[in-house]
Amino acid sequence: MAEDLTLLRDGLIRMLEAYGYEVVAAVDNGPDLLHALLDQRPDVAVVDVRLPPTHTDEGLRAALAARAEIPGLPVLVLSQYVERLYARELLADGNGGIGYLLKDRVSDIGEFIDNVNRVAAGGTALDPTVVSKLLHQHQLGDLTPREREVLAHMAQGRSNAAIGSALFITEKAVAKHTNSIFAKLGLQSSDDDNRRVLAVLRYLDN
Amino acid sequence: MRKLVLVGVAAALCVAVTLVWALTGGGEFWPRWVYFGFGTLAAGVFVFRRALRTPPGRRRWLAVDAAFCGLLITVDLTVWVLSGGGYFWPIWTMLGFSSILGVHALVASRPPGRRERELAARVSALSRSRRGALDRQAAELKRVERDLHDGAQARLVSLALTLGLAGDLLRRDPDRAALLLEEARSTARSALDDLRTVMHTIHPPVLADRGLGDAVRALVLDLAVPVTVTGEPPASLPAATETAAYFAVAECLGNVVKHAVATSAEVAFADVPDALWITVTDDGVGGADLAHGSGLRGIADRLEAVDGTLVLESPLGGPTRVTITVPLTASS
Repeated sequence: MAEDLTLLRDGLIRMLEAYGYEVVAAVDNGPDLLHALLDQRPDVAVVDVRLPPTHTDEGLRAALAARAEIPGLPVLVLSQYVERLYARELLADGNGGIGYLLKDRVSDIGEFIDNVNRVAAGGTALDPTVVSKLLHQHQLGDLTPREREVLAHMAQGRSNAAIGSALFITEKAVAKHTNSIFAKLGLQSSDDDNRRVLAVLRYLDN
Repeated sequence: MRKLVLVGVAAALCVAVTLVWALTGGGEFWPRWVYFGFGTLAAGVFVFRRALRTPPGRRRWLAVDAAFCGLLITVDLTVWVLSGGGYFWPIWTMLGFSSILGVHALVASRPPGRRERELAARVSALSRSRRGALDRQAAELKRVERDLHDGAQARLVSLALTLGLAGDLLRRDPDRAALLLEEARSTARSALDDLRTVMHTIHPPVLADRGLGDAVRALVLDLAVPVTVTGEPPASLPAATETAAYFAVAECLGNVVKHAVATSAEVAFADVPDALWITVTDDGVGGADLAHGSGLRGIADRLEAVDGTLVLESPLGGPTRVTITVPLTASS
């Protein structure tokens, strides 16, 4: 757990512990975060973007540096604002296990814990703000409106079952859409999780 | 004090020589030449002091010249009077010095040279842009105050109210309380959204994190027109320059999206020594004009405060190119 505001850090720790997580390290600056990530190799790290000493994107840089050493190390990045540029940098290695959410999202505890679990399991959790910015934008091959919707949910990191219930369609129908998306984006069939990340990445790059 | 002592000494000497003259039996009144000597000295000190009070520059030189000529003419006239008049020879000194002074005055009153004109223009530009910067800053603070007041602050008030109500109902009507808590959460989220928007208009976070290059790259990702960014701005730009340049580029790109009907645009950071040089080009319809719309005008003013300039080329039919330049060395 990396967060420099004590109040927020304690609150997050309390929340995670209430949901069965054990916090092995709580740090409040970038260099300590990098050490903790490399030493402890946690199941998942919850990291604030802005940390001392520079109070810029120290947390993001530490997360990227740690993931360069330990590919796929699950990191959920929290921030007061979300930028597509940063989302792209986080997802660029295509390894999954990445979350990027507005800090406000912690107010919906159930959803937040879902996101932490998903990132810990190697999935992705992108903030709906990043995703909705993209929705208003241009060409994504010849995806149908429905496929764009599915992709948007996929970008947030939702599973097929969750997408199905959000769009009121069956999981099977979602799977059909995702396969069509993968085909249209030219993603070869490999393991499904990885393709999902790549699809999102393609989406972010557009 | 020193002045008084000197005057006292001079006066004492004058009295002394007068006494000597009286004691030696009078005759021709020669002490007048001693008076004359001290008088000339005093007059010289007086007029040169006055002349040097003129502010430095060509006017001071003219004042010194006038003091010098005036003093010499007076000395000649006095000598002529003291030596008993006769042929009015000081006329030649008077004529000579008057013409020198005349020529000097003529030269001094000629229009200022190029360098001086440049400096005068710069002084007036500086006072204008300083004034503009202060006005803009005041207006900006007012806007931020109003945005916070109408947005986040209002929502926090409503949040406190809702929480109060929920607390009240917690025992009596837990279901309503739960609804109110849900409402409170969504109000808190809206307050945060408002704060984020306001903060973004003050100083975009990526600009603070990564500097101008990445801030522009992050900006173009959110635009509806594809924009390529080439080159890198110089490292470690002064904060004011960086912010002014960012908002200038943002305004240009905003115009591209809103008005240019462009299919693509480019932001290029040129590698120029001692300057930040940015061009924003689009393939739209052109015909943009600094005189129309306050956006670009405001940006040009903001750039002026950091000695920067904005040049707009936008022929009808396009393309439109905006060149933003900010010198980076201390300006002369």
